[in-house]
Amino acid sequence: MTASSSPLRPSALALLVTSVASGAFCTAAVAAAPSSVQLPLGWFAGSGALLLSVAAFAVTWLAHSARLLRRQVGDAEARNARLTAETAARAAELDRLAGIHAKETAALAAAHAARLGAANAAHADTRERLGEELRRAESGRAAAMAAAANAAGRMQALATGMLADLREMEHRHAAEDVLADLLHLDHRTAQAGRLADSVAVLTGARSGRRWARPIVMESILRGAMGRIGGYQRVRLHSTSDAAVAGHAAEGVMHALAELLDNAANFSPPTAEVHVYVEEVPAGIVITVEDSGLVMSDLQLRRAERAVTAESLDLAGISGTRLGLAVVGRLARKHGLTVSFRPSARGGTGALILLPHELLSSTNPEPPLSPSTLPADLPAATADGAADEGGVRTERAAPAPAPAPAPALAEAEAAPEPPARQGDGEGPEIGESGLPQRRRGRTLAAAHPDGPDAAGRAPRIPPGTASRSAARFGSFRQAVRAAGTPHSNPPHPEGDTEK
Amino acid sequence: MSRRRPGRDDSPDRLYTLTGGRSSSGSDVFDLVTLIVAECDPVPGMQSEHAAILRMSRFPTAVVEIAAELELPVSIVRILLADLLGTGRISARHPRTAHGSAHSSYRLPDPDILEQVLVGLRNL
Repeated sequence: MTASSSPLRPSALALLVTSVASGAFCTAAVAAAPSSVQLPLGWFAGSGALLLSVAAFAVTWLAHSARLLRRQVGDAEARNARLTAETAARAAELDRLAGIHAKETAALAAAHAARLGAANAAHADTRERLGEELRRAESGRAAAMAAAANAAGRMQALATGMLADLREMEHRHAAEDVLADLLHLDHRTAQAGRLADSVAVLTGARSGRRWARPIVMESILRGAMGRIGGYQRVRLHSTSDAAVAGHAAEGVMHALAELLDNAANFSPPTAEVHVYVEEVPAGIVITVEDSGLVMSDLQLRRAERAVTAESLDLAGISGTRLGLAVVGRLARKHGLTVSFRPSARGGTGALILLPHELLSSTNPEPPLSPSTLPADLPAATADGAADEGGVRTERAAPAPAPAPAPALAEAEAAPEPPARQGDGEGPEIGESGLPQRRRGRTLAAAHPDGPDAAGRAPRIPPGTASRSAARFGSFRQAVRAAGTPHSNPPHPEGDTEK
Repeated sequence: MSRRRPGRDDSPDRLYTLTGGRSSSGSDVFDLVTLIVAECDPVPGMQSEHAAILRMSRFPTAVVEIAAELELPVSIVRILLADLLGTGRISARHPRTAHGSAHSSYRLPDPDILEQVLVGLRNL
């Protein structure tokens, strides 16, 4: 309304001034005029003054309005220009900021990429180094294991060779003090051999010895017993005549030796360790019982875990407690089952179950076999004895049938002597007639057995000379073994079976 | 070579385990030609060498023969025999005891004669 009111005031002022001036002029004119023309002149002057006032008002109004509008247009233009400038400035600022942002973004991205690259490189480097270290550790471990296995194998070979040498010397030297020393060395060597065997087992080397034939249970037990320090405290209770297959015999002996060693070490130094052998449907159970400390449940479980562990890692093995780990390895290798339980003797009992696959039914030592010996030996003795007496009697009375034989096994031996006698005139030259037989027979006749055998004549049936020569051979062998030194060269280590 | 390979054909028994660690029989009853006669049969559970000795010496058998049969040193066999003798399972007879007895015709040949025989054999 200011736009409309602001031209109103000067217009009104112009109207007022004009009307006052013109009014005054008219009044003066009217007053001055003769009275006759006063009235028309009044009217005329009044109308002219009115018209003049209106015209002044209109001119003033229009002039002011135009000025006002012009001023408003100027304002609007100025505002417009200002706004345009502001917009341009904003746009420029925006561009600037955008540029800065882009630059900063690029810089950040570059820095990040650089850091990422560095981190990646460091990571790859670390990984590489770790891998390298791992490989080196692995190869170092493998090399150490191989070296240990190799050394253990050589120790085993040495021990085996030494045992064989000692055995030979024990046969050669009859003097008791020498023999005592040899036996002492033998025992020490056997223990050293067991340690080498243990290391070999733990390092995964090939097992020490292979026996070419089945080993009877008694030998297994004694072989195991001979490898520990306190073997004199071990008592064997075995009537089993089973034999362990040759490939497993060494492992069984070794495992048993470790268990015996544990039993002997963890019981009082004077307490006995008892070994029982029991045949069960699943095979043979060997029980090692000591009267030492009773193992707690935890210890029993730990021991069982040690012998049944599936893993082959050597972590957790201490240098002095190799035994159970060795037993575990051997058990896994040969399929033995080892368990522990409290013993009725007050200590701990260790049980080994040998499955049937490891057992051999064939009896490997015929001279010690109950089935063959009674049939064999009396016949041999009878033959030899008859031969010795034959110098006097054989011509006159060619050997009668062995019916009067009193020995318990003669029934089995009976078919044999007639068959041998059927081909010759008598035992004088033996069944083959070889000169050796005759010489052996003659020497046998000269042997001091003669008088004694003759004194016991009623017990001795007459027979043939078939076995006297073989028997005399063994006699000579024994004399030589006991009396004269051997000329066998010492065998090298390489000869030893690994 | 026919020699046995060491460690392969041996017995796993060490000799000291046969005798329980003893190396001396503590008696001089046995020499190489002492005759051993079993007084009883082997019983189950006996050490196999003892059982073998008892079976072998059902008829008089010399110590050296037993040693040869068992393939053991004579000293070890002496210890085993001493154990058996101590428990009365065997009796030992020395051949010399027969020498002075009535069977004079069975006495040992004179060493001179044996020597002459040896010389004669060598001259063959």
